[in-house]
Amino acid sequence: MLPNRSRTSVLVFLLPPLLLYCAAVLFPILQSLVLSFFSWNGISDMEFVGLANYVRMLTADDIFWRSFFNALIYLAICLVLQLGGALVVASLLTSLSRGRELIKTLYLLPAVISTVAIAFLFVRIYSIDPVGLLNQLLHWVGLGSLERAWLSDVNTVLAAVSAPEGWRFTGLYMLIIYAALIAVPKELEEAAVLDGASKWTLFTKIRFPYIRPVWITTTIMATTYGLRGFDIPYLMTNGGPGQSSELLTTYMYKTAFTSTDFGYASTISVFIVIECLIAVGLILFMLKRKAD
Amino acid sequence: MLIVIVQVYPLAWLFVTSLRTEQDFATGDPFALPSSLTWENYARAFETGDLGRNILNSFIVTMGANVLIVLFGMMAAYAIQVLGFRFSRFVRGLFLIGIIVPVQIALVPLFIDYSAVNLLDTYQSMIIPLAGFALPMSIYLFSSFFEYIPRETYEAASLDGAGPYRIFGLITLPLSLNTVVTVVLVNSIFIWNDFIFANTFVLSEDLKTIPLGLQNYIGAMGKVDWTATFAAVCVTITPLLLVFLVLNKAMIQGLESGANKG
Amino acid sequence: MKKLLRAAAIAAAAALALTACGGGGAATDPSNVSPTGEIKPREISWLLSRPADGAVINIMKKLADDYAKEHPGFALNLITTPDRPSYIQKLETLAAANKLPELFDTDATPFAQQLAKQGKMVEADKLLKSLDLYDDYRPGALDYQRFDDGSLYMIPFQFELEFIWYNKALLQKAGVAVPQSLDDIPAMCTALRNAGITPIAIDGQDQWPLERYVAYQPFRAAGPDFVQKLKKGEAAFSDPAGQKTVQWMAELGKAKCFQEGFSAQGYSDAQNQFTSGQAAMYNIGTWELPSLATDKLNPDVRDDIDFFTLPTTSGSVTAANEFVSPSGIGMAVNSKTYDPLVSDFLKFALQKYPAEYAATGALSPTTTVETTVPANATPLYKKALETANTLGEKQAMPWDTQLDPTTNGRLQQELVLLVQGNITPEQFTKTMDDAIKQNAPKFFK
Repeated sequence: MLPNRSRTSVLVFLLPPLLLYCAAVLFPILQSLVLSFFSWNGISDMEFVGLANYVRMLTADDIFWRSFFNALIYLAICLVLQLGGALVVASLLTSLSRGRELIKTLYLLPAVISTVAIAFLFVRIYSIDPVGLLNQLLHWVGLGSLERAWLSDVNTVLAAVSAPEGWRFTGLYMLIIYAALIAVPKELEEAAVLDGASKWTLFTKIRFPYIRPVWITTTIMATTYGLRGFDIPYLMTNGGPGQSSELLTTYMYKTAFTSTDFGYASTISVFIVIECLIAVGLILFMLKRKAD
Repeated sequence: MLIVIVQVYPLAWLFVTSLRTEQDFATGDPFALPSSLTWENYARAFETGDLGRNILNSFIVTMGANVLIVLFGMMAAYAIQVLGFRFSRFVRGLFLIGIIVPVQIALVPLFIDYSAVNLLDTYQSMIIPLAGFALPMSIYLFSSFFEYIPRETYEAASLDGAGPYRIFGLITLPLSLNTVVTVVLVNSIFIWNDFIFANTFVLSEDLKTIPLGLQNYIGAMGKVDWTATFAAVCVTITPLLLVFLVLNKAMIQGLESGANKG
Repeated sequence: MKKLLRAAAIAAAAALALTACGGGGAATDPSNVSPTGEIKPREISWLLSRPADGAVINIMKKLADDYAKEHPGFALNLITTPDRPSYIQKLETLAAANKLPELFDTDATPFAQQLAKQGKMVEADKLLKSLDLYDDYRPGALDYQRFDDGSLYMIPFQFELEFIWYNKALLQKAGVAVPQSLDDIPAMCTALRNAGITPIAIDGQDQWPLERYVAYQPFRAAGPDFVQKLKKGEAAFSDPAGQKTVQWMAELGKAKCFQEGFSAQGYSDAQNQFTSGQAAMYNIGTWELPSLATDKLNPDVRDDIDFFTLPTTSGSVTAANEFVSPSGIGMAVNSKTYDPLVSDFLKFALQKYPAEYAATGALSPTTTVETTVPANATPLYKKALETANTLGEKQAMPWDTQLDPTTNGRLQQELVLLVQGNITPEQFTKTMDDAIKQNAPKFFK
């Protein structure tokens, strides 16, 4: 704490952001939490139903559970692509001597392009009739047997909608991780190399522990964005075929605006909030334990 | 090299498609090079939509939200991390909730609240929720960065008689320029492409942002004029790309050093 | 802190309840269609979901300008959201906040019916009658806008007919003729597939096109009442008419009638497959006449394209001249803001609209004007327009505006699975009948 701080100075700095946040975020959220105990279609009178929405969600809604597990798989794929991909590319980048700046800029490109265009492009890439890029590539490398309508096949659609989302923001995380990697003191690495450490030990023993704080930040960012993923699955398949690519967020959105069941949609979003809290808690817990 | 191709490809594809004739787009292989090029899609894109207006609106909203996000994010982080107070942990937790709440659910209450205070259909109605929902991440990044400013720096300044306001202006602010760049960069990407708030709160043509403007190319029963859409997409991402390229070095360095400490 | 939170929660709920419901009961009488008083020009708004550069918007803009010349101070603010799901979200949000503008678009959905029941919309039949325009409208165009109790709250601006367009050359190549019965289609698809041709191009992404198909068999077997009963749970997919359509959809899937991977393909993908000569059939309405029956159509297929109307079946209770003939999304008039100005403007605009609209080459919802055939039209254009004159009385309603939205969403999802062969007809029947049982009571009390 700063020695000459005063109560007023704390208030001067804290109040404006807190007010904005409460008005724009907290208050509406609170309102929607309250809605989760009601049955309301937007124009009818609100009817208090107690925990009925929660009971329905947890015990009687097969689509909810399906979407929940889909969301977890979606998250896993996004995380592997974003964090794994980012780490690999960032490591490669550190060993590159030229063109780093260019590559880094190029990497941000997909994040800038509007989602509508990205979704459209990937629908084309996955298409089979007419043959899209992916199926064409598979054909060329002799894996013709794997050709399929990726977005219509109930077994592949979830992975197929996760990939674009993962790919899109890899660049963002890559930059953050890359920055951490180049900050690893050279002396540490050189000393380790002198001790005969292999590349792998160098990475696990020196580099990774050094970037751990950044790693935690990026993991939390990627996890929470992943659990809130919405527009790409919504635009590409609208959750289909069947419920194969339905996520909790798309299901919640449909419950609210297609079924006009705002109470139940709020219940689902309460669940998403809790799910995110647990996820963040788990990440912190696991990374802390590893560090000890 | 392969990785670079994977990243650049979509943009190149987008651009090439925006130059295809409608006929070629309808019948040709979407991945082959077009048989002939045309600028007609661009002409149509400008004719149908008010792209200039949309870009200007997006620019205003992005700037406005960024100013709030950076300024308020920094202030809150300063109060929580540097000044400190009794409930600082609680307030910090309160802010963090915002990171994880799906925005879609707040739409109806937000709309009702906004209409109650006559904020609908204004720039503010887009800027405020966009800034509000981005604030938690901004606070998180700033306060992680502030942890790295050595306490001695503050103590020395305090001994010289500097109050919390002067310290904020003279020490914290200049030191965190890199983090500012990070926050602005990340948020600009999201805000530039925001559809959901804009669609909910904007009613008049004059306030439409780019993602709303792209809807002008949708025809009857959901038929989309894709070549014109892509032409419009190419036009509308140009300002953002220009900013990226011009500020390339500063931005990326900012992102690196800012995030590194965050 | 806990106490504070609880207090805040209560305040939040109260605030929401107040703003949401307060002032909801507008004192205006929805059946009072001719308000008295002075016409005070002001700006009015129309929230709509139509193409930004389309005929309806362009004409209404022009008419509003003309009206403003006589009534300085008047302006019509057209707020369009062409993407339908985004539009519906916007409409519902505005309705929840009680901020609906003077005019707004909606289909005859259960949600709209609830708005009507709350007295938020002006009764359109009375309105049209008071303007002496009611009899000008095609009965079918008005019927399409009616709720299931026969009440009318929306005014149509279009009139469309849905046909199955086909490529004569491709049918010939596969040695098949135009189907005489709906039941001929699966075998026809098999023959086309064997000849290496995609039988039907369909826009799977938007979901309504596939849902059209599920409506066809019951419309032929049991007439337009089937879906009215089905949505309330008075009829079921396990009934004979229901089973017929379930089995037929499964057969369409088995015969690979639709292009592979159709569920992810969009509107233009499907149309392009048809107009580039890859697919033999394409089910679409007259709103596509400008691209299918003019010289804009790909010259390679231009002479091979024709259309047929929905085939009948043996024992069909509806006639060959009865099929899907929608009048598009309708315009509702907000009863709360309905005043002499709105009334006067509507009178002005609705009288002049048909002539202007017909001049663009589209079918007017009224019978008072003749549609101009564009100069670049192929002979099919005229043939399509003339079909409108021989329509029967009954029309097949698209199910997506009839079923409750939750059941409808489920149906759209399950249909894809059924056609792709991921679920059996039995599973489909059970899932859907359960869904109706669970959701229908909430919407059709």
